[in-house]
Amino acid sequence: MLRPLALFVAVLGLAGPAAALEGAAVSTPNVEARLVAETDGVQPGGTVTVALRLRIREHWHTYWLNPGDSGEPTSIDWTLPEGVTAGALQFPYPHRIEVGPLVNFGYDGTVLHLADIKVPDDAAPGTTVPLKADAVWLVCDDICIPEEASLTLDLPVAAAPPAADPAYAAEFAATRAMLPTPSPWPAVFALQDGALALALDAPDLAKAGLAAAVLFPMSAGHIKNAAPQTLEVRAGRLVIAAEAGRHFATPEKAAKVAAIPAVVVLTGQDGQTRAFELTATPGPVPPPAAAAGRDGALPLWTALAFAFLGGLILNLMPCVFPVLSMKALALAKKGGGDLGGARAGGLAYTAGVVLSFLALGGALLALRGAGEAVGWGFQLQSPPVVAGLALLFFAIGLNLMGVFEVGTRLQAAGAARTGGGLVGSFLTGILAAIVAAPCTAPFMGGAIFTALTQPVPVALAIFGALGLGMAAPYLALTLSPGLVRLMPKPGLWMVRLKQVLAFPMFGSAAWLVWVLALSAGPQALALVLAAIIVAGFALWLWGVIQQSGGGWVVRGAAASAALAVVAALVVIPGLAAPAATAASDTGAGPRWEAYSPARLDSLRAEGRPVFVNLTAAWCVTCLVNEEVALSSAGLAAAFQKAGIVYLKGDWTNRDADISRLLEAHGRAGVPLYLYFAPGAAEPAILPQLLTESIVMDALGLVSPPSS
Amino acid sequence: MKRTLAVLAAVAMLTASALAAPVIGQPAPAFTGVTADGGTVDLAAYAGKTVVLEWTNNGCPYVKKHYGAGNMQQTQAAAAADGVVWLTIISSAEGKQGYATPDEAKAIAAAAKAAPAAIVLDASGEIGRAYDARTTPHMFVIDGAGTLVYAGAIDDKPTADAADIPGATNYVLAALEDVKNGRPVATPESEPYGCSVKY
Repeated sequence: MLRPLALFVAVLGLAGPAAALEGAAVSTPNVEARLVAETDGVQPGGTVTVALRLRIREHWHTYWLNPGDSGEPTSIDWTLPEGVTAGALQFPYPHRIEVGPLVNFGYDGTVLHLADIKVPDDAAPGTTVPLKADAVWLVCDDICIPEEASLTLDLPVAAAPPAADPAYAAEFAATRAMLPTPSPWPAVFALQDGALALALDAPDLAKAGLAAAVLFPMSAGHIKNAAPQTLEVRAGRLVIAAEAGRHFATPEKAAKVAAIPAVVVLTGQDGQTRAFELTATPGPVPPPAAAAGRDGALPLWTALAFAFLGGLILNLMPCVFPVLSMKALALAKKGGGDLGGARAGGLAYTAGVVLSFLALGGALLALRGAGEAVGWGFQLQSPPVVAGLALLFFAIGLNLMGVFEVGTRLQAAGAARTGGGLVGSFLTGILAAIVAAPCTAPFMGGAIFTALTQPVPVALAIFGALGLGMAAPYLALTLSPGLVRLMPKPGLWMVRLKQVLAFPMFGSAAWLVWVLALSAGPQALALVLAAIIVAGFALWLWGVIQQSGGGWVVRGAAASAALAVVAALVVIPGLAAPAATAASDTGAGPRWEAYSPARLDSLRAEGRPVFVNLTAAWCVTCLVNEEVALSSAGLAAAFQKAGIVYLKGDWTNRDADISRLLEAHGRAGVPLYLYFAPGAAEPAILPQLLTESIVMDALGLVSPPSS
Repeated sequence: MKRTLAVLAAVAMLTASALAAPVIGQPAPAFTGVTADGGTVDLAAYAGKTVVLEWTNNGCPYVKKHYGAGNMQQTQAAAAADGVVWLTIISSAEGKQGYATPDEAKAIAAAAKAAPAAIVLDASGEIGRAYDARTTPHMFVIDGAGTLVYAGAIDDKPTADAADIPGATNYVLAALEDVKNGRPVATPESEPYGCSVKY
């Protein structure tokens, strides 16, 4: 093996100096090294690219910046005349080199490492600049040998612009084509089922399709180097995934990975390969297609359809149905007489709903864009918002009860066609969207998660579809005179129905007050109850005035309304500082402790099995699951017998630790149920809708005989 | 039922992948092996004692760096003085660099004045794979409770140049000092450097 190489070197040595600006070759047992300049000289003040050129013995290899499972990157130490400077040694993208069960990142054949050499302005034409460099590399086949060479190159300084050296032009060009360039596409990463998934937001590439993509992290520990890498297009993004490395061994460690600098090498359908350097940051990555239906991103049309359907269902929610009913009843009262006005009103209502959803979705995207750890339902993590909603629900309930009327005189004027009527419909739409929000989270999970992982226009389209779905029934009613005529004749039943519908609103208000008490404490509870009473009094007073009429009483009404507003303003800022919270205890169910990353770490270090429940007081699905699946004495006994520790994370108020754990598992919100088996690197993720048997099965528990 | 199966399959897969590499803070993988002295070694027998595992290959320049300068021997001596059990493990397959018969292994250790408690001959690579040992040297520290508390390089200067040793931080000595004083290990893992293990 050595002899042919030596012969080759000898031949090159004879042929070389005549043609190219290159330094003397230095041959080590496995590499022939030399410095080569790209041009035949350099002008004063100019820059010339010089290559450290390594011709590596067949079957042997040298290493990239991150050498992979073993090895050491090539390095160079320049000794330069005063005023001459050398830039950093540049590394073309490497290859994966398999060594038994291990994988290294490096080079075989011939590799050029480029460095830009700048000479000073006062370099005299006709002189030469002597470059000296000590290069060190590790070269391995089955075995490894550290080698080094002292190299020189005399660089002529010329007044005329230097010419490219044809001898090595092709090699320089090929090397430059292999140097990573900054990625034009944003990149995010997430941990998914034990794999590090890196998503490139490159829609054009995703559409065109790639033949291959390889991820080379700049430092060790992010991926298992030897693990096969997969390339998929998910939700319009390129996703490269490989088994995660030691930095992701636990969720807590994973949460500390703030950035992954890496080089990705993309090969197009045409066989052309380009390398890009990027720094991926933590962010939502669409999950694999197989898992999409279960817990993650959906194809766009499915997501839009689900969003529309979800919006339709929202009309049946206890918080929304009464509002919609008010509109429908008002329509029925008119008996379909004023079709044009009704149609305009329906459209205005639709606009109100859709714009509200777009605004809410936009706010969520903007907050996440700004790096806030928020998910859907985030608005319910703010005590002032919860208090405001509770007051609103209470007020709507009183309105349904007939305590006061809204816009009586406008309606009396029969002005549905006027601006006032349209504004009223539009505002009703906004009101419906606002009251719908608390009910949204449990039903919209998949669609909203998809929305959050999408480019902004797609995300907004999904929120828009949600709004359209919600507005659809009323819109259909107003657009179709036939439907209106089908509605029952107005009568006393309408008054009774309205009154009955007040109770779901009071129920919603009571639930929100409970959420508030959990998140902001008993003091806040007292404040909001006081506010509700003051508001109730003010609205009643207003109702009395509406019925009796009169000039001076109108001023009284204004004063009482102002009083209510002032009361609310006094109360709500008082809620801004949330107290410590705890999700409600589950009675007979398994005993639990509060979740913290440190506690989870230490339990796992002890080899204990751990069940984690991430919940929030405002999450209906979470509460239902706890009631149905997690609160039996049987489960408590099974947990105890198996030594399972139950950790509960309460996301009622925003909590960065919990947000990170959710993010690590591709979730934008609660609920999330995880089971960490002893010694397992990754938890099992339980379904979002639980039954006791699902929990028992997933945790490998045997149901105790019922007594 | 389908959902249950999917969950169970996921659990099974995750458990399988967890076997691929030992995790800091988790129980160190159990193993038994034969020693160059003709005896056997069982990790479980050292319960209550701190154990150091050192993967070696006497032909590897990075191993030569640390033995040539006496750094590995000094680390072994410091460990032995505190009652720490030091196991030197050779996972090179027969015919590959670093493979040694029992007599060769003893001769290599004697020539280097190395003083491990035992040299474990792991030509099948079984122990090496259980620990995901990737380089020579690759170092592991296991505390008295059998918990893996350190995995990684011998020090923070990933070169083959012995001149780098004086300025380096010896991670193994630091970990042993932390274990001795009942502290959590400040640097529980680092990226191992050196030659690949010749499985």
